[in-house]
Amino acid sequence: MKNILVSLNEATRTVNSGSNKVTLLDTINLNVEEGEFISLMGPSGSGKSTLLNCIGMLDNFTGGGYTFLGEPVHSMKEKNRSKLYKEYIGFVFQAYHLIDELTVYENIETPLLYKNIKSSERKAMVADMLDRFNIVGKKDLFPIQLSGGQQQLVGIARALIGQPKLILADEPTGNLNSKQSEEIMELFAQLNKEGVTIIQATHSESNAAYGSRIINLLDGKIV
Amino acid sequence: MILNYIKIAFRTLRKNKGYSFLNIFGLAIGITCASLIFLWVEDELSFDSEFEKQDQVYYVPTHQEYDGEWRTFNSTPGPFAEAMKTEIPGVAKASRTKHRDLLFSVNDNAINSGGRFVDEDFITIFSLKFVEGNAKEAFNNPEAIVITQETAEQLYGKNTKAIGKVLKVDNTENYLISGVIENLPKNVTFPINWIAPFERWSGDKEWTNGYGSFFADTFVELSPEADFNSVDAQVRSLLEKKTGDNDSKAFLHTIKDWHLRAHFENGKQVGGRIDSVRLFTIIALIILLIACINFMNLSTARSEKRANEVGVRKAMGSGRTRLIFQFISEALILAFIASLVSVLFLFVLLPQFNLLIEKDLVLGLSQPFHIVFLLGITLVCGIFAGLYPAFYLSSFKPVEVLKGLKVTQGSANYIRKGLVVGQFTISIVFIICTILVYQQLQHIKNRDLGFDKDQLISLNVNGTMIEKFDVIKQDLIQTGAVSSVGLNNSGILNGGNNGSNLTWTGGTNTEDVLIFFRYISSDFLETAGMELVEGRGFYENMVKDSTSVLITESFAKLMGQGSAIGKKIDRGDIYTVVGVVKDYLFDDMYGQSDPVLFFNYHGEASYMYLKTNPKIGTSDVLSKIEAVMKKHNPAFPFEYSFVDDAFNAKFKSEQLVGKLSQLFALLAILISCLGLFGLAAYTAEQRSKEIGVRKVLGASVSGIVKLLSKDFLKLVGLAIVIAIPVAWYVMDNWLGNYAYRIEINGWIFVIAGIVAIVIAMVTVSFQAIKAAIANPVDSLKTE
Repeated sequence: MKNILVSLNEATRTVNSGSNKVTLLDTINLNVEEGEFISLMGPSGSGKSTLLNCIGMLDNFTGGGYTFLGEPVHSMKEKNRSKLYKEYIGFVFQAYHLIDELTVYENIETPLLYKNIKSSERKAMVADMLDRFNIVGKKDLFPIQLSGGQQQLVGIARALIGQPKLILADEPTGNLNSKQSEEIMELFAQLNKEGVTIIQATHSESNAAYGSRIINLLDGKIV
Repeated sequence: MILNYIKIAFRTLRKNKGYSFLNIFGLAIGITCASLIFLWVEDELSFDSEFEKQDQVYYVPTHQEYDGEWRTFNSTPGPFAEAMKTEIPGVAKASRTKHRDLLFSVNDNAINSGGRFVDEDFITIFSLKFVEGNAKEAFNNPEAIVITQETAEQLYGKNTKAIGKVLKVDNTENYLISGVIENLPKNVTFPINWIAPFERWSGDKEWTNGYGSFFADTFVELSPEADFNSVDAQVRSLLEKKTGDNDSKAFLHTIKDWHLRAHFENGKQVGGRIDSVRLFTIIALIILLIACINFMNLSTARSEKRANEVGVRKAMGSGRTRLIFQFISEALILAFIASLVSVLFLFVLLPQFNLLIEKDLVLGLSQPFHIVFLLGITLVCGIFAGLYPAFYLSSFKPVEVLKGLKVTQGSANYIRKGLVVGQFTISIVFIICTILVYQQLQHIKNRDLGFDKDQLISLNVNGTMIEKFDVIKQDLIQTGAVSSVGLNNSGILNGGNNGSNLTWTGGTNTEDVLIFFRYISSDFLETAGMELVEGRGFYENMVKDSTSVLITESFAKLMGQGSAIGKKIDRGDIYTVVGVVKDYLFDDMYGQSDPVLFFNYHGEASYMYLKTNPKIGTSDVLSKIEAVMKKHNPAFPFEYSFVDDAFNAKFKSEQLVGKLSQLFALLAILISCLGLFGLAAYTAEQRSKEIGVRKVLGASVSGIVKLLSKDFLKLVGLAIVIAIPVAWYVMDNWLGNYAYRIEINGWIFVIAGIVAIVIAMVTVSFQAIKAAIANPVDSLKTE
């Protein structure tokens, strides 16, 4: 049996909006095994992004249990939690979210800086990544000088550089045209084959089809 | 990591040129300002600090009681120095001194040089270093004189041995140069160019040997183990014992206080220049504060631009501490650039500043202390200014900012507004203070002095000026340049010769009021423009009129009811009052007119006053006077001073406060405006969508300008409300130092308020108009 990477047990997320309590995620039960490629689907506002953020520990569940690699995230201190996600999770955003002031090379390097990896090692790792994504020639360019697809490529490279176990991608192709998005999805499929676990949120049926499992969300519930 | 931050910092700077400029420029002005002030403060603090015996050397002034009030004088009786040395165990060395200007001539080269007649101990008290000769033998010869290297060079040129040479003094006497000492440091309270044995001056002056006359500047050195309090107490009682009077007490004034804490009021030390030093140090800090506030404002205002980066970095695994560290390093980099710019400013501005404050400050960047201090300011500014933005920016939640939600700026908005109010409050207080300081200065300068200081020239009496007075006067008047000439034993603006033991018809000076004595020539009153309110002036023949005296109105009041004319005054000899002169001011221009008693005697006059003809140009007048003086008093160089210059010099410290407060008010406003300008730009940017929508819905340009300006004007309004009581309090305190002062007028606050509003309006409206005339399509498309 494969390792369970993520295990959600009646995980709930509520927010207070004015005097109303709004439930964004309602008693979610979900197990993600290592090596899975999950597509979260559902209309706008169904809770896809919130679920991704909570799994990615950028946001917290307000109820229920969340276990990551056997560690109870819900009872962890902020510091340990950030150590955990720094180590095991990579993010890919719809709007790429590259740092405008940094070059391609520096953007990809950033997560390594936060992991306190030595300079020589960093160089090698970034060079590998540039090579792998065929963007060596663009390493000194700034994000603004790249096309959307290229920017997302850098975004993915940045997510991968820390060698995470899990990639969380929130509508990774939402800002791209169909050809570019196909390339990105092929890349994800390739990565998944190499053993990276992926959870993506998407609107698109065809993108969802790349996944090994599709989970549909509606009003914060798995349906 | 650090490299990464530096890179980011520089790229951010380059990308936001306007913002960077405002930030760096504002901070640079702040640092420049503070550096100028600190240079001045350093200079002030350095006075007398280069003398070796900081803990042992004291000056001995006296408190004297008159009319129930203790006044402080810089003089002691002649024998007191020796008495302290022999009778008080803790006093190791003591020296009487008397300051004099002497005329040194070597061939055709003549210079007027200030120095002191001193006792031998003076050399050890001040640890004077001999370049030629030595301390032991310097005063062996009664005709000896020791000069400084600088004086030696002026007289004999460089690389000439001066020791052993005979120096002609005042064209009459010969002194033997027995030594050459190193120049004194630049900043000393009692500068000297030469010293000579005290007896050479006191010689046959019998009165210098008793306790009746207070005339000498006395210095003492305590033995290292002496207890200050006990010696001071003994010094106080010793003078009482010697004079048999309990209304004069000598005391010890430490060398550390000579320059900065030399004001005494009613026998108590009440500060002095240290007050200005403190005031300006505070001002420097305030200006730095304003500059730092700018920085905080601009950094947080543009937080939305940085929010995304914060979100990404947090998602990439950056902890908050790292982000705080990153933002503070950015602030430090900015501060560092600003301090480099300010060094540039300092190079350009220091000469102007020196002119303004009449000092000779140098930047001295080669001094490690200056570098460290500048770096210190930079560091403190960077950290202080960067701290709040760092904490604020690093607090963003990645989920929110990455989703593109507007950053909720609630608390930051209030803090930002608070900072703007703070800046403007300070600026408005500066404006009000500037106006009031100026008014007070004008008030005092325009005060009716009781004499006419304009067109009045003062010459020091020397050589044959008294013997030839009649001829000189006649020749001067004949030139047409001078209308009247008078002699006085005392400077018209000075206190000088005084006493209190008088009796007169129908009474004595029972109230123990200090009376000032003036020995004048008959035309002095006319020359000085003093007004005779009763009786007659002096006859020209002073021998015939030698028992006549004139008194001022306040003296006449002391003498009681009825006309003072004909009353007798007993001052050992009996004098008759023949006229009453209108009160006039001297010494303390803020105080009351002290009573004056004039005698018709000019045999020992020290000053010659000339009333000049206003129709003739100054240089013409001077050359005519010079010609006459050269003819009758050829041995002495022609040196003169204008009484109104001397009068203005009395307000030096007030004038300095006035000039500097103008300068700093201007800079504070400039920095505040830079901040406001930046803030307005960002507000306009932030609200561009709102403005677009409003315009689409039909809002006019003027309506939008009003909308954008209104918020800022409210802040400035609030600042005015806060500033007024603060300024009132500060200035009422300051004016409280002056007996003759203005009252604070309400309209000053109105003016300051209007100035602030207008300045803020101009600053903000530029941005507001720019935002208002922009095409709404552009701003709406960006969503």
